[in-house]
Amino acid sequence: MSQDDTTAAVATAPPPTGAGAPVARVEDLHVTFRRAGADIQAIRGVSLEVGPGEIVGLVGESGSGKSVLGLSLLGLLGGSPRTSGRAVVHGTDMLTAGAAERRDVRRLHLGAVFQDPMTSLNPTMRVGRQIVEAAGSQDEAVRLLTAVGVPDPARRLRAYPHELSGGLRQRVMIAMAVAGTPSLVIADEPTTALDVTVQAQVLGLVKRLRDEIGCAFLLVTHDLGVAAQVVDRVAVMYAGRITEVGPADEVLRHGAHPYGVALMRSRLSLRTDRDTPLLALPGSVPSPARPEPGCAFAPRCTLAGPDCTTTPPAPVEVAPGHLAACVRDLAEIRAFADAVPGEEPPATGRPSAATAPAAATEAGPGAAPDDAPVEEPAAVRVQNAYRTYGVGSGIGRRRPLQALRGVSLTVARGEAVAVVGESGSGKSTLLRLVAGLERADGGTIELGSAAGAQMVFQDSGASLTPWLTIGELVGERLRSAGVPRAERDRRVAEALELVGLPAEVAKARGTQLSGGQRQRVGLARATVVPPEILLCDEPTSALDVSLAASVINLVGRLRRELDMAVLFVTHDLSVARVVADRIAVMYLGRIVEIGTADEITHRPRHPYTQALVAAVPDLGVEPPPPSGEPASPLDPPPGCAFHPRCPRATPSCSDPALDPRLAAQPGERTRLTACINLEVS
Amino acid sequence: MAIAEPAVVPPSPAPVVSRAGRPRRDLTRLQAWGGVGLLVAVTLLALLAKVVAPQDPLAPVGVPLQPPGSAGFPLGSDSIGRDVLSRVLVGLQLSWFGAIVVIASGLLVGGVVGLVAGAVGGWVDTVLMRFTDLFLALPAPVLAIAVVAALGPGLRNTLLAVGVVWWPFYARIVRGEIRTLRARPHVEAARLAGTGGVRIALRHLLPGAVPAAVVAASLDVGALVLTLAGLSFLGLGQPAPAAELGADSARNLSYLLQQWWIPVMPGVAVMLLALAGNVAGDGVRILLDKR
Repeated sequence: MSQDDTTAAVATAPPPTGAGAPVARVEDLHVTFRRAGADIQAIRGVSLEVGPGEIVGLVGESGSGKSVLGLSLLGLLGGSPRTSGRAVVHGTDMLTAGAAERRDVRRLHLGAVFQDPMTSLNPTMRVGRQIVEAAGSQDEAVRLLTAVGVPDPARRLRAYPHELSGGLRQRVMIAMAVAGTPSLVIADEPTTALDVTVQAQVLGLVKRLRDEIGCAFLLVTHDLGVAAQVVDRVAVMYAGRITEVGPADEVLRHGAHPYGVALMRSRLSLRTDRDTPLLALPGSVPSPARPEPGCAFAPRCTLAGPDCTTTPPAPVEVAPGHLAACVRDLAEIRAFADAVPGEEPPATGRPSAATAPAAATEAGPGAAPDDAPVEEPAAVRVQNAYRTYGVGSGIGRRRPLQALRGVSLTVARGEAVAVVGESGSGKSTLLRLVAGLERADGGTIELGSAAGAQMVFQDSGASLTPWLTIGELVGERLRSAGVPRAERDRRVAEALELVGLPAEVAKARGTQLSGGQRQRVGLARATVVPPEILLCDEPTSALDVSLAASVINLVGRLRRELDMAVLFVTHDLSVARVVADRIAVMYLGRIVEIGTADEITHRPRHPYTQALVAAVPDLGVEPPPPSGEPASPLDPPPGCAFHPRCPRATPSCSDPALDPRLAAQPGERTRLTACINLEVS
Repeated sequence: MAIAEPAVVPPSPAPVVSRAGRPRRDLTRLQAWGGVGLLVAVTLLALLAKVVAPQDPLAPVGVPLQPPGSAGFPLGSDSIGRDVLSRVLVGLQLSWFGAIVVIASGLLVGGVVGLVAGAVGGWVDTVLMRFTDLFLALPAPVLAIAVVAALGPGLRNTLLAVGVVWWPFYARIVRGEIRTLRARPHVEAARLAGTGGVRIALRHLLPGAVPAAVVAASLDVGALVLTLAGLSFLGLGQPAPAAELGADSARNLSYLLQQWWIPVMPGVAVMLLALAGNVAGDGVRILLDKR
């Protein structure tokens, strides 16, 4: 087939930064798994080179085959798939070499970092022994830990994995991966489980290690922003093929394949337009069991023509070192990239002036919001909420975990507020208190009306009872309200239609639906009787970029059509900015800053907000990684809890008597900040 | 070298309900129905044992100590000329239904106790589980001897004694499953939807505990058959002439070296019964498990 000759052309394109022979070379790789009678074609003809000291990003949505490619190079493909082609590392084909030979290549030339360092490390062994296994000696282990920025390495060696924070664990994994100075480290979603400030630090570390020890990285990620931060070259994968490969800047800014262009456009950043609907990719990723004969992206591609569906397109060099596998004319793709479609009405639902944010009523200048006068009708009013959990069991004493330490927040009727924070900030606890799933230990939570609060959960799969049908689940609230069966079925069908699902879904069970469909079911269940306020707990964090955009659009449309308030919890500022009128930033159980979405994302004032904004990975942004990791809510620092990480901290910030309260600056109505050292320009 | 692509594939719109895992599910469903078929077959055989049995299991009908395959004795004859096959079939009936009665009553009692303890939690959980522990501490044989001494020998009394010590296992299993399920978001979602406690317990919790309980119960069939046989060996089952697999095997152990079939055939039947229980239990689990 002519396809082979042309895909080989990708391999011949020299990596621009890597000088000398490539450390890894994939040639026309096919990997097909047999899963109980069906062929799953995970990789369908991929060619790629990684040059010495080069950081190559492998970007794709779930199911694109990017992780399988990484495992192929490691020689760790499980499930005995059928393979053809080559995956060569240091002259050894990791597909055909014997187990001992592959092990030698892995030991001498390869390193690996996976997404979840907790499961990659042995929980019963001290970290030190595990590093020494890779490093060879205690001294080398200490040296490695120092190199990856683990403070006090000699002491950390005696710790067990569970005693380290997520960021430290990932650093330990990286230390083990670079032990013995491998020529290539394969990092599969190394930052996905980390907080955004820690992610920025780990990405910085990857770049530094490349510069210092010269090892190449293959960085597998679903996040284009992460790729944009550190990689030299990007390969975009879709349905087992590389659609586009080239220098990072070139591919991410001037995409030459409709998929890459669409992916970039559906991606959220702090510059995303808030007033138009997000550009979501229509359709879903094709099943790897029934691949398209032609271009895999054709069914979702707005530029697709009849010639797209017959044979797989050949990669074409569109710029030096930049290849794209698309038969469409480059000019046509570039025109598509520049087009601004606007068929749909604004999805994010800007409130009119009449429903303007109620922030101004929360506090006058200098007044704490706790003392705010109660005037406007609110969807929910949280006042000085406290919540403490007891953690630890067995022999040890139970320790108090202070999830919320005095939070006050008012959401006006019809208003959307996003709560942003890293893990341990208490944002999910706040949501659970408002939902009524838990009781506050102190303070009050008042809902504006009997319509109450409904919630959309982060894990859409786990929130659907697996053995009940979607119809039963969505209709449950109607049943408890005493609605008769026929009426119930009708309203369930209406609710499903409103979230863009066909009525047949009512007969399906949660396990038969895709992640995006499940999250829509969650929304249908929450809105079958429109609540006063819709609570969203990271509903998009488990979804692919294109799906996340469509769910965010849907939340905005439902809010507008059903006239609900929304309280949206997320760790992602760029998501918060698009869904919300106001953003509240939480750190260790307190709101440190609250203001309109634009104020928070474009003119952050609290040092923590500034660090969060700077850490959002984006094109062409080189963040100064904020130091340190979120402190533990088991032991919040005295005074201002952020002071150990704060670049502007003064001795008075750590004064145990200090209680920084949210306060507005003179002349400002909407923004409140809890900091004693504000730089007011 | 590229994998050949089919020339024409009708461009089908993405299905509403993903059918990706279809072939695998067909296979496992076949397996599951096979297991259930086996369950029905064994139960039918046990039901019809007296009809299927070629001879009277209690009366001597021919020459004693005939090896398997002899005329009129497919599995041989025992020391007084009774047909081993007929005795095995009737013994199978007793053992199978005895085991099923104990398991069914255990699942019912244990299931209710475990469901209430797990779903309500708090002090109800503590009280119910300590009560359960009390029964777990009773030794089955000693209790059986006590029951038989008080009420007289007989299968019914033996089953009663075993049943009393058997249900706590199921109570623990069901309670553990319910506790795990209760922490899942789907239960919180149901609570948010205003669903009542009883409905949450029955619709959102109980179905999730069924597979684990059924698998445990199926694995118990063999153990129960053996327990009942052991008790009957001690004189705590049906009195002597009745055909029971365990008792027949135990009483005739002295023939093992010369006329092996007399003790071995009932033993083989016990083994097959246990195997059938396991396969059937697995099948039932696959069919019940909607996750």
